[in-house]
Amino acid sequence: MLAVDMTGDAVKAKNGSMVAYDGQMAFKKLSGGGEGIRGMVTRRLTGEQMTVMEVKGQGTCWFADRASEINLVQLQGDKLYVESSNLLATDAGLRTGTSFTGLRGATQGNGLFTTTVEGHGQAAITSDGPAVVLRVSPQYPLTVDPGAYIAHQGDVRQSFQSGVTFRTFMGEGGGEAFQIRFEGNGLVYVQPSERNTIAGDV
Amino acid sequence: MYGAPGGGPTVHDPMTLPVDDNVNNYTFCVELKGSQWFLQKGKMIAYYGSIDFNGVGHGRLDRLVRTSFHSPLHASDWVVAEGSGKMLLADRAFDVNSYDLDDGNLTIRSGNLLAFQPSLSLKQSIVPGFLTLIGTGKFVAASNGPVVFMEPPLRVDPQALVGWADCPSPCHHYDHGYLTGVMGGLRALTGLGGASGEEHQFEFVGAGTVLLQSTEILMAEQATGAVPHEPGVPGSGAGAGGHGGPGAQSGAPRLPGQLGDLQRRFGL
Repeated sequence: MLAVDMTGDAVKAKNGSMVAYDGQMAFKKLSGGGEGIRGMVTRRLTGEQMTVMEVKGQGTCWFADRASEINLVQLQGDKLYVESSNLLATDAGLRTGTSFTGLRGATQGNGLFTTTVEGHGQAAITSDGPAVVLRVSPQYPLTVDPGAYIAHQGDVRQSFQSGVTFRTFMGEGGGEAFQIRFEGNGLVYVQPSERNTIAGDV
Repeated sequence: MYGAPGGGPTVHDPMTLPVDDNVNNYTFCVELKGSQWFLQKGKMIAYYGSIDFNGVGHGRLDRLVRTSFHSPLHASDWVVAEGSGKMLLADRAFDVNSYDLDDGNLTIRSGNLLAFQPSLSLKQSIVPGFLTLIGTGKFVAASNGPVVFMEPPLRVDPQALVGWADCPSPCHHYDHGYLTGVMGGLRALTGLGGASGEEHQFEFVGAGTVLLQSTEILMAEQATGAVPHEPGVPGSGAGAGGHGGPGAQSGAPRLPGQLGDLQRRFGL
């Protein structure tokens, strides 16, 4: 559960994720994720939909989503890439948008696009089990199972690795046929659980 | 550069990740230095370094399979990780723990075993649905909630049992005072008069350790592979053998409440 203390400022949160509050709060649905007409159209086109509400007021507000773990991410001008289904709340000052992920998104079973969060402030992301934060640096690239990936931030290049060989089709595959490789400088968030992906069984 | 501010989550890199230990309750880190580990398919969530994952059926690994794998029929559920680097394992956000075996044996529910060192050998237990690890080495197991260690003599709920080490196989135990007689039969069949749901337990005796999980929610079963179809092998469906022809045992399983059960209840 995430507790947010507010003194007249605002946060953006997933629609319906408020479980309790004290003090004075106003909840306003933001159409199109608060990204304006352009954002609305992009989200509709990309299928990366998210319904967001703006919470504003004085007091404490508690957010939760299906008893999943909540991880706080501090952003200092860098960009966080996260699936819209894993994004619970952000400071109102953070800009959200969509970006193209290519093949990686397809193997995660989450579509070809992902949500970006940019600016200065905090964002809360959800995961199945507490997320492990792994650092990527030039000398230590990281490889991640697409089903366990939830988010990454920083200046990171990702590439898609496929280990599909004829053995995969014989039912003798390594079980880890699709992987995402991260190189550069930044952090990657993985959850101790795997979503069901098309790559899960090969 | 992207360090977590005070109070934020710990950021791990290959230097700070533990060696063959838990990162948190749900994630386990294995260090490979040109060595090998067996793991269940799809339980790797991330790794640093260069690690190859090959199905156990991979020709090059035939020798390894011969020496530490004795359940050829379910080898396709297992993968060999080989290389150098650090690898993170996790299973559906269940608790994971590692255990050391020192020239010992441990029997575990098949769905709970996640990974093990090839210095251990994996065999099917004669108890259906369980696997036995024999030898010296480390293995990683998942459980629904933390694992509790108990010492026999002890009776446990079937759903809470994860495995047992160094002690003879368990047997079934029924609370006969509650189950027998006409009223007991009616209670067991209809639930009228209150069945507590705890009339049946597994009983352990002898010296050893019993591993229990702290919920009664079972983890999904993993196939342990078929056993040879021969007389005398439990679960093979080959009947008692020697009698010739299918007896009552190899027929369709009787439903509870059929006349046969009542007959036996009255000792007929």
